Amino acid sequence: MKSPVSSPPPGRRRPRPTTALLLAGAVLVSSGCAVANSAGGDAGQADGRTLRVVLTQEPPTLEPCEASLTSTGVVVRSNITEPLVERDPDSGELHPLLATGWKQTGPRTWTFDTRDGVTFQNGEPFTAKDAAFSIDRAVNSDLACNVEGYVFGDDDLKVKAVGDNRLTVTTPEPDPILPLRLSFVEIVPRSTSTEAKVRVPIGTGPYAVRSWQAGTAISLSRYDDYWGKAPAFPRARYVWRSDASVRAAMIDKDEAEIAVALDSMEAEKDTTASYPNNETTALRLDGREAPLDDLRVRRAIDLAVDRQGIIDALLGGLAEPAGQLVPPGVVGHSDAIEPTRQNVAEARALVKEAEADGVPTDRTITLVARNGMFSGVSETAEALQYQMKEIGLSVRVRMADTATQLQYQLRPLPKNVGPIALLIMHGNQAGDAAFTASQYLLSDGPQSTFGTGELDRRIADAGLLSGRKRQDAFADLLADQNDTVVQYTHIAHMTGLLGLSPSIRYEPNSATGDEMRLAEVGPAEGAKD
Amino acid sequence: MIPFLRKRMISSAIPLFCVVLGVFFLARMTGNPVDLYLPLSATAEQRAEFSAAQGFDLSIPAQLWNYLVDAAHLDFGTSLRTGQPATEMVLDAFPVTLQLAGVTMLLAITGALLVGSLAAYRPNSLVDRIASLLSMTAASIPDFWFAIMGVLVFGVSLGWLPTSGTLGGPEIWVLPVATLLIRPFGVLVQVVRGSMVTALSAPYVKIARSKGATPRRVIFGHALRNAVTPVLTVAGDLAVGLVNGAVIVETIFGWPGIGKLMIDSILQRDFAVLQAAVLLTAVTIFALNILVDVCHALTDPRVRLAVPA
Amino acid sequence: MPREEPTTADTTAGAGADTTTVGTTAADTRDTTAAGAPDTTAADTAADTGADTPAGAASSPHRANWWRMLGRDRAAAVAAVVLSLVVLVALFGRLVIGDRAQRQDLDSSLRPPSLGDGVYGLFGTDVLGRSVLARLIDAAATTLSVAVPAVLCSLLIGSALGLWAGYHGGRRESLAMRVADVILSFPSLLIAVVVLYVFSPSALNLVLILAVARIPVYLRTARAEAAELRSRLFVDAARTFGTPSRSIIYRHILPIALPTLLTVAALDFCFVMLTESSLSFLGIGIQPPDVSWGLMVAQGRQYLQTAWWITVLPGLAIVFTTVSATVLAAWVRMATDPAQRWRLTLPTKRRGASAAVPPELIP
Repeated sequence: MKSPVSSPPPGRRRPRPTTALLLAGAVLVSSGCAVANSAGGDAGQADGRTLRVVLTQEPPTLEPCEASLTSTGVVVRSNITEPLVERDPDSGELHPLLATGWKQTGPRTWTFDTRDGVTFQNGEPFTAKDAAFSIDRAVNSDLACNVEGYVFGDDDLKVKAVGDNRLTVTTPEPDPILPLRLSFVEIVPRSTSTEAKVRVPIGTGPYAVRSWQAGTAISLSRYDDYWGKAPAFPRARYVWRSDASVRAAMIDKDEAEIAVALDSMEAEKDTTASYPNNETTALRLDGREAPLDDLRVRRAIDLAVDRQGIIDALLGGLAEPAGQLVPPGVVGHSDAIEPTRQNVAEARALVKEAEADGVPTDRTITLVARNGMFSGVSETAEALQYQMKEIGLSVRVRMADTATQLQYQLRPLPKNVGPIALLIMHGNQAGDAAFTASQYLLSDGPQSTFGTGELDRRIADAGLLSGRKRQDAFADLLADQNDTVVQYTHIAHMTGLLGLSPSIRYEPNSATGDEMRLAEVGPAEGAKD
Repeated sequence: MIPFLRKRMISSAIPLFCVVLGVFFLARMTGNPVDLYLPLSATAEQRAEFSAAQGFDLSIPAQLWNYLVDAAHLDFGTSLRTGQPATEMVLDAFPVTLQLAGVTMLLAITGALLVGSLAAYRPNSLVDRIASLLSMTAASIPDFWFAIMGVLVFGVSLGWLPTSGTLGGPEIWVLPVATLLIRPFGVLVQVVRGSMVTALSAPYVKIARSKGATPRRVIFGHALRNAVTPVLTVAGDLAVGLVNGAVIVETIFGWPGIGKLMIDSILQRDFAVLQAAVLLTAVTIFALNILVDVCHALTDPRVRLAVPA
Repeated sequence: MPREEPTTADTTAGAGADTTTVGTTAADTRDTTAAGAPDTTAADTAADTGADTPAGAASSPHRANWWRMLGRDRAAAVAAVVLSLVVLVALFGRLVIGDRAQRQDLDSSLRPPSLGDGVYGLFGTDVLGRSVLARLIDAAATTLSVAVPAVLCSLLIGSALGLWAGYHGGRRESLAMRVADVILSFPSLLIAVVVLYVFSPSALNLVLILAVARIPVYLRTARAEAAELRSRLFVDAARTFGTPSRSIIYRHILPIALPTLLTVAALDFCFVMLTESSLSFLGIGIQPPDVSWGLMVAQGRQYLQTAWWITVLPGLAIVFTTVSATVLAAWVRMATDPAQRWRLTLPTKRRGASAAVPPELIP
């Protein structure tokens, strides 16, 4: 437009830009509407027949052997596929599901009887061979399933179907909690690929996948030949919104019946249900770096934190102050451990004492936290930073994304980053402290920075016990970490918030965040069906 | 026109290649995604195996070579996150953003032409002052804030509009488009007003006005065509900027567009998808720039001959 | 099609073709688009005397006159007051409030604005019980310390490259333009996300990212200006006398291009603040315990329904500051443009139009 060229010859007709623009626009609008309408057939009006659930993110896949990933498991587990054994989230007891019974038949061998009359959603009957196939596929294959690493470690299992209704599982080492571990293996038919992960699975569950519009919604429909009690809603549909205020708005607007992970300020609404979600937040102090290598400094940080204040102001007043990494209901939780009470004076004195002994208490500690870990995480980090600063330490906050935070959380731990206080949130889905201890407390545990030989030994011993002794051994060693190691400044046993439309009835439990059983959802009393 | 287009396309090739290279190195800088995709307790062997399977164990030049060869075949590999072909995912997401951006730009341009012309017709009148103030304010409101306000006010309190999502009738478009619209609209109103004031004071328009032509005829029959050139330039650049806005809008409203896909693939270190998505966006932006030049040539014959370097 | 075909579509008062007297040109072609660099004669005079001579009808621009002109334009005067206030608060606010912006009190979380809680309770408290007023003041300094260097860097680098490229033309021009193309075709928010997540999200990195992302804007604007000016008579003359190209650019081209570039820069303020805010929304903007207006808006958004003041007040701060910058930039542009300055000497009512935004401005 700046070229010094002479004006156009008069009388020459030029195309009218406005007309062209309008035309282009009309095309765009109409094609846009076409897209919207093509999806509109599945539009989510409240018809009382479709259960609409809004999640935080789209599941990356529905592959059952990835079901220990929260975003996959919340859709797949107990809705599409089922395991042999299920854990009651409240009592911690195991209940039969696709297995009718199990017992330990050798020091390293367990035998499971499978249920009769169960069919997969593709019509094939369920047999012990399918169960053996599924365990093999999830644990022993090259698929690198998340379940394998999460509950089984490196050990391969020997699985054999002995007849149509019975299978045996043999572990390399005696394993008293094998049935609990197997409650994470979802059963798929033998026609499932062993070469590659599947995106859309077939299972025995009450719902089958009807369609998956990538990026938009996953629709399930009731599986009519389900062996158990038929769920109340014939259809279910999952959508996802990453912003919590939008999820809450969808409940208010009656665009969804269930919304997960609401912000703490929604806590007081009638449509919000709270439930202990088995997650525990804590600060993991890297005891290899000064000044955190000094026990007094670690203890001072523990004393500096105002747990109740953080809970009341930032977590909606719903969480419970924590003194250990596992919440009540988990095997190994100790009722005797009291959460530390804030005592700024004592904490300051400890820091002073350490300083007098030559501990560099002015070295800057980096407090690492992950965006979106829980509602109010960045405010919590700021509060912790302030409270640590108040006792005479120098602290800066670094908010990281998941991948960056994992580098700090997992071994091999990053080098030359100075002293790190990592905000972690640990969820013990399995209900046994052994999973926590081997990850977070062992001195070379994958998510632990240091420990003591004594603690390691006690963890190994406790893992071989069962029953009451197991409970006591783990409770003792959790108390021991608070006395002698102090790697963790426990903050709170968290509470999940679920938005529930008045038109439905659902009791969330501690497992809801990982496994939301749609079959347990029914229409509210008096609501139109 | 044809030589002009050919020259423009050839001159775009080198920058495009730079983009291809740039996105590769940008992605590698974010580190190996092994931690994100393997279970927390994965062993060193499992990690090594994963790296080898994804080709992350090769030297950077070797990885680059593989990437370039594949990219030349338009094969960007498989998404780590979903296991789907990256190209497919990107092509699925692209139309959503394109439509969103298209509708937004269309409304912004037409709206700005109307409001801007109205304001320019009587400079410093009440209409002009209100339009200027509103447009300046619109251009400086944080978009995510506007979006959440919109959801709360129009979605929940008034109940006029759905809160979010892509399932539904045309009303589903209102909030996302409005959010994306405010900034380009605010800026364009000011641009249109500026160039309309100039165009309206041109002698031939003055003559038309003094002859008693209606305001509509004066604006749309005479002045607008001369005012449209700068508007086109700015609109083109604003359209490029919409990618940023799309990230926010798609995140909040749950639209499966390319902005959300890109941000997710960065957060998930999903290099294949990131590379495909950035390249497709870059191609679109280049195409858009060429389109703007063509529009200039159409509306302003002086440009037609003077091909930019 | 209209019958009256425009005789000239040229809003740019083409090179030396118009031979009308300066006074009438200025009055007739109400040339407010930046494409319309000042009319040739004016430009020539301006270039020779450092771009600050009166162009005919205008009154003589003494320094004192600037204040008078500013006083005549009510909107610009208000904008100037707002901006100076913001700058003063940013410079000296922290001395007054001390550590008030950081002081937490979890017991007085989310207090609404009130007159009863002293000065610091005036705008209420945030969720950690910190005074919102103190945080607004503290944030002003951080916001400006990100926005000003970012805008200045991109302005300096972009303009220098653009003027150099536009003046020389040819290969150098295409090279610069291709660089601009490459930067523009990476979505800036995504580069920011990558860099800020990979390297730590420090204020310095933030400034660098924002600066690099905005370079093409100045580069393109400066190139266009320089490309047009390089064939002008006064530039030719200078070249004939053997003036080295660097000083031609500096002494003859820069003064004419500067007002436009400054206007773009003023408006970029808005962009930089909003981008910083968007980055905070994604969690990687300014890191606590530092605070910026954008971070406050982003953190407060979840409290929209329960505690509006946390997010609305910093939002208003952004809006007021950027609108003021826009208004003032438009005024400065007019005041420094010899062909337009006359408008500012008229009473507001009768004044023609001031284009708030030059057309080549890119947000």
